[in-house]
Amino acid sequence: MSNIDRRTLVKGSLAAMMAGAAFSRAAFAQSSEPILLGVSGPLTGPNAQYGAQWKQGFDLALDEIHAAGGINGRKLAYQFEDSQSDPRQSVAIAQKFVSDPRIVMELGDFSSPASMAASPIYQRGGLVQFGFTNSHPDFTKGGDFMWSTSVSQADEQPLLASYAVKRLGLKKLAVLHLNTDWGRTSRDHFVKAAKEYGAEIAVTEGYIAEERDFRSTLVRVRDANPDGLILISYYSDGALIARQARQVGLKQTICAASSVYSPKFLELGGEAVEDVHLGTRYFPEDPRPEVKKFIAGFKAKYNGQEPDAFNAYSYDAMNMAAAVLKIGGIDRRTIRDAFAKVKDVSSVIFGQATFDVESRRVKGAMNAELVVRKGQFALWDGKPT
Amino acid sequence: MGEHLDSMLSLRGLTRRFGGLTAVDAIDLDLAKGELISIIGPNGAGKTTLFNLVTGLDRPDAGTVRFEGQDITGLSPERLAAEGIARTFQLGRVFGNLSVMDNVLIGAHTRLRAVKPAVPVIGPLLELGLALLRPSSVKAEEERLREEVKAILARFGERLLPRIDQPAYSLSYANRRRVEIARALALKPRLLLLDEPTAGMNPTETAEMQALVAELKAKGLTILLIEHKLEMVMRLSDRVIVMDEGKKIAEGRGEEVRSDPKVIEAYLGHGLTGTAEQESAA
Amino acid sequence: MSSWLDYTINGLIVGNVYALVAVGLALIFGVSRLINFAQGSIYLVGAYIGWVAVVQLHTPLPLTIIVVAAAAALVGLIIERFGLRPLQNSVRIAPLLATIGISFVLDQLVMLTFSPNPRALPSQLPDVRFQLGGGTIGPLDLLIAGVGITSALLLFVFLRYSKLGWAVRAASQDRDAAMQMGVDVNRVNQAVFGIAAALGGVSGMLVGMYYNQIDTAMSLQATLKGVVAEVVGGAGNVPGAVIGSLLLGLVESYGVAVFGTSYRNLFAFLLLVVVLVLRPNGLFASARQAPPEPLTGTFIAPSRPVRIPRWALAVAAAGFAILPLFPVSFYVLQTLINAWLLGMLALSLTLVAGTIGQVSLGHAALLAIGAYTSALLSLALSVPVGLAVIGGGLMSAALGTLLISPSFRLRGHYVSIATLAIGEIVSLVILNWESVTRGPIGISGIPPLSLFGYDLISPSSVYWFSLAVIVVLALLQGRLLTSHLGRSFRAIRDDDIAARAYGLSLNRYKSLAFIFGGFAAGVSGGIAAHLYSYINHETFNTQQSILALTVVILGGLGNVVGAIVGSVALVGLPEVFRIAAEYRILIYGIVLLLLVRFRPQGLLGTI
Repeated sequence: MSNIDRRTLVKGSLAAMMAGAAFSRAAFAQSSEPILLGVSGPLTGPNAQYGAQWKQGFDLALDEIHAAGGINGRKLAYQFEDSQSDPRQSVAIAQKFVSDPRIVMELGDFSSPASMAASPIYQRGGLVQFGFTNSHPDFTKGGDFMWSTSVSQADEQPLLASYAVKRLGLKKLAVLHLNTDWGRTSRDHFVKAAKEYGAEIAVTEGYIAEERDFRSTLVRVRDANPDGLILISYYSDGALIARQARQVGLKQTICAASSVYSPKFLELGGEAVEDVHLGTRYFPEDPRPEVKKFIAGFKAKYNGQEPDAFNAYSYDAMNMAAAVLKIGGIDRRTIRDAFAKVKDVSSVIFGQATFDVESRRVKGAMNAELVVRKGQFALWDGKPT
Repeated sequence: MGEHLDSMLSLRGLTRRFGGLTAVDAIDLDLAKGELISIIGPNGAGKTTLFNLVTGLDRPDAGTVRFEGQDITGLSPERLAAEGIARTFQLGRVFGNLSVMDNVLIGAHTRLRAVKPAVPVIGPLLELGLALLRPSSVKAEEERLREEVKAILARFGERLLPRIDQPAYSLSYANRRRVEIARALALKPRLLLLDEPTAGMNPTETAEMQALVAELKAKGLTILLIEHKLEMVMRLSDRVIVMDEGKKIAEGRGEEVRSDPKVIEAYLGHGLTGTAEQESAA
Repeated sequence: MSSWLDYTINGLIVGNVYALVAVGLALIFGVSRLINFAQGSIYLVGAYIGWVAVVQLHTPLPLTIIVVAAAAALVGLIIERFGLRPLQNSVRIAPLLATIGISFVLDQLVMLTFSPNPRALPSQLPDVRFQLGGGTIGPLDLLIAGVGITSALLLFVFLRYSKLGWAVRAASQDRDAAMQMGVDVNRVNQAVFGIAAALGGVSGMLVGMYYNQIDTAMSLQATLKGVVAEVVGGAGNVPGAVIGSLLLGLVESYGVAVFGTSYRNLFAFLLLVVVLVLRPNGLFASARQAPPEPLTGTFIAPSRPVRIPRWALAVAAAGFAILPLFPVSFYVLQTLINAWLLGMLALSLTLVAGTIGQVSLGHAALLAIGAYTSALLSLALSVPVGLAVIGGGLMSAALGTLLISPSFRLRGHYVSIATLAIGEIVSLVILNWESVTRGPIGISGIPPLSLFGYDLISPSSVYWFSLAVIVVLALLQGRLLTSHLGRSFRAIRDDDIAARAYGLSLNRYKSLAFIFGGFAAGVSGGIAAHLYSYINHETFNTQQSILALTVVILGGLGNVVGAIVGSVALVGLPEVFRIAAEYRILIYGIVLLLLVRFRPQGLLGTI
C-alpha cells in the first residue's frame, strides 16, 4: 500500500472528484489508523541536534492533542525521515512522502538548501510543505503548497533593532552574524531597521558555523569602537562569542537575536553571558497561558529540562498542523486551503497565529525583551547594565 | 670538445650530491654511435643515479649532458624520450595493472601522431578528440603498432607472446624485465640505457638476454649498460667504465679494466653482490 | 599599531590549539606515512571522556588528564590493532580510507551516546586573566601551550634518544630494512598510535574546556586544521607541526585583520596550497631530497576486473530505461535520479582517482562550479537550460582543471590534501563572492530542466534525462579508456616515473583527465541545480566528495560500470537503512571498513 504508481494516483484523484467530499469525510471518521504527517529533517550529520529538538516539541504537542481528543477523534502521528539536511536526501524523502497516500502533510526540512530543493516536488505533488524553521525569504515563493510559521526576519529584526537602539540606547553597533542564508538575511533587515532608528553600523562580520575562535574578529570589533555588539547567532556560537568578547576585554552591551534563547546558551556561556540582552518570542515567567502550558508540559515530560526556541518552533508547528487538519480533513488540497482558513491558533511564538494568505507566513510574532540576570533569563526591567 | 663531435652521448663533469654524499662525482663519458659501454661497480657506486641524470629523472648539480651534440642537461624525461632515449629500470618498473601489450604500447607513445602537436591547450584537446572520435587513421596507426608490438615480443620466443593480454603484475620477475626491454624497443630508441637487465635471472635466461643485447648491438643500436655479471659485460662491451663512490676509477677494454688493481680493490673493499642495490635512495 | 600585536597574540593562541592535533598527526605520518583522518575523532572522544570525568565523576584536573589520556590511548591502540594493522600489506589508499571509515564510526558512536547537543565542559583551572596586549590570556592558554610544546619536546627527545624512539625513526625511514634489523614494526606502530591518540584525546578535552563547549561537529574541523598545519610544517616532522600550526594561526588571524572574518578559512587553505606547490615536503624539509621512492604497484591493488558482457550491460540499461513504464513509485525513481547524479560525479572521480591515480577529496567543488554556472547562465543570461547544463560542464572542465592544476606535481596523499583544500577554497569563494553567487543567500528560482523548449518536470522525464546523460557519459568514458589515452592514464597511475621516461607528460594527461572528468561532474552539478531550484554554498559539501570516493572504491578504481553500480548501492543502501534512522551512518562507516579490509579492489575490480 505504501507504493503507489502514477496511474493509481490519477485514478484515485478522479474517484475522489466523483465521490466528492462526503466520501472522504465518512472515511475520515471511521478509520482508526492515525493521521500521518511526514517530517523531513536532520537526525544525523552536522545539524542532528536540531532534529532531536524537533522531536521533543512534536511529542509534547502530540500528547496534548491526544489528551484533548485528537483530530476529530483520530490520532495524529508523524513519520520522521532523516535527511541530514542534505538536499539529495530531502528530494528523495519528498518523493517518498508525495507518493505515500497515508501522508497528508509534510513538515521541514531544517536548512534552506534541503527544504527549498524539495519544494518543487511538494508543489507539483500537491502536498503541503510546512517549513516551520524556514526563514529564507524565498521559501514560500516556491508555490502555494509552501507555508511557514518561521518568523520572517523582516518582522523579527526590527524588533531587535528597536530593543538595541531605542530601548537600550545603543548608537554605534557592531553586528556579528552567522554567514548563512538566515544570518545574512537577518543582518540586512537588522542593519536597515537600526539605521532607520538612528544608529550607526560600525562594522559587520559574518562567520561560518564551524568557527570556534572569534578573538581576531573581536579585535576588529574593538577597533571599530562600537557601544554595542549585536549577535545574530545560534546559542552555541553566541555563547562562544560572548565568552571571548569578555576575555579580550570588550565590556560593551551585547544584544542577541532570539535564536540564542536556550538553556544551553546559559550553560555554555557561563558568567560571560550575564547581562546579555535578547529579544525573544516567549520567556519562562511569561504570563500567557499557552506559554505556561508549554513550559510546564515540557519540564514534566523531559525531566525538568527547559525548552528552547527550536522546541517551541516544533511544538507550535505540530499544534498548527492539528488545527489545520481539524478543518481541512485529510485531503491534501483541502489541507492546503485550510492553511488560509485557520484563525487565531494558540501559539507560543505568535500568541495567536493566523496566516497571511499573500505571503503564506504568520505575521506579528510576540516580543519579549529579556536579559540574562544571575544566570537566568529574565524580563528586562529597563535598568541599564 | 671538438674531438667528441661524433659521439652520440657525451658527459662532462657530471655531478650529483645528496646531502653530504656525492653520488656521482665529476663523471666524463663519451659514447659513440653504435657503441656499447658497460658501467660496472659495487653497490652504491652511483651507476643508477648516473642513468637518472642522463634520462632527466634527476638533475645534476654540475656538469653537462650532450646528446648528438645538443645540450640536454636538465631536460625533462618526456622530452628526452621524444629525442629517442629509452631506458629500463633496475627494479623493474612495469605498469603492473596494464597488460603486456599495453605496457609495450606505452613504449611507442612518443611515436603516436595524436601526441605530436605541441601547441598548448589546442594540442591536448585535439588529442582528446582523436581518442574519442577515433578516425580511421588513428585506428590504422593503433593496428600497425599492435602488429609491431607482437613482432617485438616475438624476439623473446614464447616467453611473452602467450601472455600478451595478462596484466604485468602476474608475470614472473624475469618476464617483467623482458617486458621492460620490449617497451624500450617499442620507442625505436637511438640510445638505449639498460639497468641490470639480467638481475634475478637464472643462467639460461641470462644467456637469452645476452643474445638479445648482442643482436641489438649488431643492428647498430647505441647502448649504455649497467651490469653485474662480468662474463656478460666482457662479451658485449666495446668499453667498460668502472665506478666507485661516485667516481670513475677505470675505463677501457674489458681485459684491461679487469686487471686494474684499483678495480680489484674497489670490489674487494665493498664486496661484490649481484642483487638489487639501493643507491638512488642513499 | 597595538591591534597588530593583538592579532599576532590571537594567531599564536589559536595556532597553539591547532598544534595539539597536528603533533599527533605528524607522529603517525612519520611512521606509517598515513594521514590519520580519525585523529579528529579521537580528539572528539577525548573531549567527551573529559566531560564524563569532570561533570559526572568530578575528577581533579591531573586525574582528568590521566583518565582521558589512558582512554584515548586505548582507542588509538584498538584502531591500530583492528582497523589498520590488517591493512599493512594492502594498497596505500586502503589505510587512508580506513581512517575515514573509523572517523565516521567514532563520531556516530559519540553522537549516539551523548546526543548531538553541545555540552559545556567547565575548565578546572582558576579563572584568573593576565593582561597581554589589548586582551587577556588565562591559565588554560598557558596549559595548552605547555602541553603542545612539552609534548613536541618530549617526542623529539623520545625519538632521538630512546630505544623505541630509534626504532620508530628506523621504521619511518625504511620499514623493510628496519624489520630486517629486528625492529618490531608492529610494536612501533602501537606505541605511536597510543601516544598520538593520548595526545589527541587530551587536546580535545583541553580545547573543550578552553571554549567551554564540546559537540560532535568538532571532529572534522580539528582534522582539517590539523592536517593543514601538519603539512605546512612538513608531514611527519613533529617540531615542524608545531611551527606550522602557529603559522596557520597567524595567517588566519592576519587574514581576518585585513579582509574580515568570512575570509578566515580561505587563508588557511590558500596557505596550504601555496606551501604544497612551492615546498611540497613542507616548509622545514630540506630543499633537495633523493629522487622519489619507487611506488610501483603500491597505489592500487593488483586486480583483474570482473568482465561483464556487453549484452548484459545493454539489458541492464534497457531495463532501467523502461522502468518508469511500470508501476514504480516516484520515490524509487527519485532515488535512482539521485544515483544517476552521484554516478556522474563518480564517473568523473573514478577517472581521475582510479584511472590516473589522483585521489581527489575536493570533487564536490566541480559539482558546485557546474551548478552555479548553469544556474547563472539560465537565470541571468536566459540561456536555455539544456545549453546551460552543458555550459556548466564546460566551465567545470576548464575552471576545475585550472584550479586543481597546482596539485599535478604532487604525489600520493599530498594530492588528496591539496584537492581537499582546493575544494574548500571553491566553497569559500562561492560564499564570499556575493556579487556573482549571492553568497550565503544562494540562488533560488532556478528554472526546471528543459530540453528543446519542453520542461522536464515529471519524475519520469527527469529520470530518463539523467539516465540518458549518464549512459552517454559512461559510453564516452568507456571509449576513452580503450583509446591510447586510457592506456596512458593507467600507466601514469601505475608508475609515473616510468611513464615520464617514456614521454608521457604528467601535466598534459592529468589535465586531460580532469577536463574530461570535470565535464561529467559539472553536468551532474548543473542538472542538480535545475532539479533543486535552489542552491547555496552548502549544497555541495565535503561529504559529497567523500561519498563519491567511497562509490569509486566500492565499484573498483577506474571501473566505469563499477562507478554506476557503486552509486546505486550507496544511494540505495542508506534509503533501505532508513528504518535504522540514527544508526545508518554508523552502518555506512562499518561497511566502508569491511570493504577496505576484505575487497580493496572494489566489487568489480580495478581497470
